[in-house]
Amino acid sequence: MVEERRVAGTTAGAAPGAEISIRGLDKSFGTLKAVDDVSIEIPSGEFLALLGPSGSGKSTVLMMMAGFEVPTGGQILIDGQDCTRLPPQKRNIGMVFQHYSLFPHMTVLDNVAFPLKMRGVGRAERRRRAGQALEVVRLSGYGDRMPAQMSGGQRQRVALARAIVYEPRLLLMDEPLSALDKNLREEMQLEIKRLHVELGITVVFVTHDQGEALTMADRIAILRGGQIQQISPARELYERPANLFAAGFIGEMNMIPANWDGSCLMLGQGERILPPESAFVSQPVQGSTTLAIRPERLGVVPAGTPGAVRANLTEIVYAGAGTLIIARLDDGTEVRARVPSAGLPPLSAGERIGLTLPPEAMLVYGEIAA
Amino acid sequence: MTDLNPRKLLLNAYVYAVLFFILAPIVVILPMAFSETDYLTFPPEGFTFDWFGAFFGNSRWMKATTFSLQIAVLTAITTCVIATMSTYALMRGAGRLGALFQGLLIAPIVVPHIALAVALYLFFRQTGLSSTITGYVLAHSVIAMPFAVFTIAAALSSVDATLEDAAMSCGASRFAAFRLVTLPIILPNVLSGGLFAFILSFDEPVISFFLAGIRDKTLPRMMFDDIEQNLTPIIPAIAVLLTGISIFVLVAAALLRRMADSRRTVSPEA
Repeated sequence: MVEERRVAGTTAGAAPGAEISIRGLDKSFGTLKAVDDVSIEIPSGEFLALLGPSGSGKSTVLMMMAGFEVPTGGQILIDGQDCTRLPPQKRNIGMVFQHYSLFPHMTVLDNVAFPLKMRGVGRAERRRRAGQALEVVRLSGYGDRMPAQMSGGQRQRVALARAIVYEPRLLLMDEPLSALDKNLREEMQLEIKRLHVELGITVVFVTHDQGEALTMADRIAILRGGQIQQISPARELYERPANLFAAGFIGEMNMIPANWDGSCLMLGQGERILPPESAFVSQPVQGSTTLAIRPERLGVVPAGTPGAVRANLTEIVYAGAGTLIIARLDDGTEVRARVPSAGLPPLSAGERIGLTLPPEAMLVYGEIAA
Repeated sequence: MTDLNPRKLLLNAYVYAVLFFILAPIVVILPMAFSETDYLTFPPEGFTFDWFGAFFGNSRWMKATTFSLQIAVLTAITTCVIATMSTYALMRGAGRLGALFQGLLIAPIVVPHIALAVALYLFFRQTGLSSTITGYVLAHSVIAMPFAVFTIAAALSSVDATLEDAAMSCGASRFAAFRLVTLPIILPNVLSGGLFAFILSFDEPVISFFLAGIRDKTLPRMMFDDIEQNLTPIIPAIAVLLTGISIFVLVAAALLRRMADSRRTVSPEA
């Protein structure tokens, strides 16, 4: 059925997903620069998440892609066509809003059929295709209901059906799951992912939930203060964050202040560490740097083990399979280690321990953690 | 809870007294319409529908009634259209003159009608609008505007502004988004505002007094003349009719608003 839909669509033969090119996008509100020189190339069919804290400009980027905000600078190209100043209704984009934004005075079927009505599709054909879209989001048989009679998750599915019913090549989603409770959210994440694979359309998804971004997206763009910090696939983002903000924003990260003297790193308490060449994310100039390492990459060994960093154990949190070790270096830096509980020697708070830092897990940044 | 609270009892008594003094004259005047005498008397003597017949059978009264109806209908339409546009602009627009504009729209509630009447009289005399339907409709629309604006604003404030964004992302033009999404949701309140405007216009005496010419008189203006000259039970007969129409229209308006509320029960978070 999906194949048939694609062939029947307006873009027969071409890939079902649009290719987006965002070039040097700027948006200022008065003196505030909400979006600052953002450039992203999104290949056809990609699922891209825009991730960032509130005020990072991620929603503004999306609103400019949708046409609700006019950029103060830069360009947005959809399939090579300059859409920067095209009004929203001429962009042929599917959009899902944070609060669903279903039309409360229309039935579910009429809601879903609305984009087809706007495109002059006949009534019978409209009903058929809207019914089909409801089937795709697993809501067949709900067409005659009013939105008020649906649960939050169902409404979001209706919104999704309305966004894909006219087979747009680009689907924009503005924190579509933030109003749902946790279980429903996880279910919808899988649902949206399934739809993306099934339809093959390009998806741009705004979220402030890193777990959501990691689960769903092919690539994640991290924004802060209107600027892109990093655009990478989930794994790379986690394993090799481009800067300390990205490092701290995704998952847990130990950030240990260190001094780079040109040949090796010197910790505050005197240990010398020689990171491999590959550990240098940004080339440090001589002086203050930060050594970053994920808690699950650290090992805990008896104090005095050669090559291990000395620390004071402050807390042990046993959590079944894993144990969280919280320790302090002599300069006060807190370091967390998540280690398998099996084989962990008996430890008690206040004890001196050693922490091993596998060279391949080290990341060195030429900036100081805030 | 505190039904026996003496202060509350006193307040209730006061409210009922006020209502009694306001409504008693109406209760007194209505039965007079059925009196067989050709002067006003209470309690009425006998019972007849003759005065209603006299009203409907008299071409001068009928002409005034038609004239008033025309004005009221046109006022209702004009008010609906302008109030909807203005309220939309006020609440959704980003204009810097919003506060000033809002003040202008609502001012007629504060300004005494007599002052407005004199001002319009002078202005219309110069522009040739005196005693024309256009003149009446403009004047009455100004008076009715605040009521319609309030009614429509109440509805519009509960309509999520992103609904129109959603419609536009579905391919609707800005106007189509308003016409197909926002307007149907607020329509009951718009119509209810129109009904208010109709009633306000239909029995508006003060401005009509100033704008009336020799020939074209509105119904309230005719009633004034009749009260001065002969004062027959035809006046209470008209009062009965006007009261009936007012009650009918206000009930209709209330029903419309209730309908509107049930349409808007979808709160975005729910």
